[in-house]
Amino acid sequence: MLTTLENTSIALWVGESLWAYPSLLACHIVGLAIVAGIFSMRDLKLLGLFPALDIAVFRHLLRLALLGFAINAISGFLLFSSQASYLATSIPFLSKLVCIAVGMSTALVLQSRLSFQLVSGLESTSVDRATQLLAALSLSVWVSAIIAGRLIAYIF
Amino acid sequence: MWNLLASLADGSSLNQWIQETYWLWPVMEIIHFIGLVLLLGGLIVVDLRMAGHLRVIKPNATHQLLPFVIAGFVLNLITGSLFFVGDPGRYSINIGFQIKMALVGLAGLNALLYHWKVSPIMSNWDHNADSPLLAKCIAYTSLTVWTGVLLTGRLIPYVGTG
Repeated sequence: MLTTLENTSIALWVGESLWAYPSLLACHIVGLAIVAGIFSMRDLKLLGLFPALDIAVFRHLLRLALLGFAINAISGFLLFSSQASYLATSIPFLSKLVCIAVGMSTALVLQSRLSFQLVSGLESTSVDRATQLLAALSLSVWVSAIIAGRLIAYIF
Repeated sequence: MWNLLASLADGSSLNQWIQETYWLWPVMEIIHFIGLVLLLGGLIVVDLRMAGHLRVIKPNATHQLLPFVIAGFVLNLITGSLFFVGDPGRYSINIGFQIKMALVGLAGLNALLYHWKVSPIMSNWDHNADSPLLAKCIAYTSLTVWTGVLLTGRLIPYVGTG
């Protein structure tokens, strides 16, 4: 199946075109900055930093974060397609996917918790323990995703 | 200028240490990526509010993010300088690197303009009103130029020599 993916015309284009692979990598780092940037600032806020910043701002930034995620899901899939069978056995790559899955799931749970807190009129200054643990988890998986992603190029 | 810096770096003990320490390069890359997340993550909130979006927060509430933006920049200035010292011959003549550095310089000038012209008056802004034109220009310039820094930086290994 992975070999079939590698032989599709789009995967061959990614692998053979002079500009496709670097351009996709360039898109991938912009998406990374948007997703990991917004989510890490949200997590730091939930962990008690930026007291003057209302947590509601991150409800408004979710759509932008999801746009960043979409950019990276697409560019990431295209980059993957050109080396699918190799990456499918790469430990750093598989670890990165797990981290992203945990990070995105945590984001959805946090989002619903934030909406609930705002609806029920609770101030952002009183973040409950479970939400703080989720924020710490989120921060650590996004850092781990970056570490694992970078190591794809170094560990076989 | 880059050639002069490259000739100073080439053969220095720091240059040799970076080249001989096999694990150092990936570790510096990881730190460089974490630095860019802090820098851009903070700036997205700061600049979008400055441009008049995200009016749910006070205009100057974003000032608390600036230490993280600056910390991200300092991490990347240090790791970035070490990349240059570690492989000066490659970076000094690389067009991607040269454009990236010009853009970082531009972003720095833009940040000074923010510091002098916008930051001091932000506490007087009406929470619900649109931002002044100068503030919008500075905010969108910042986001555009830093995106350019990301793009050109990522292209360094793929573009030719200048």
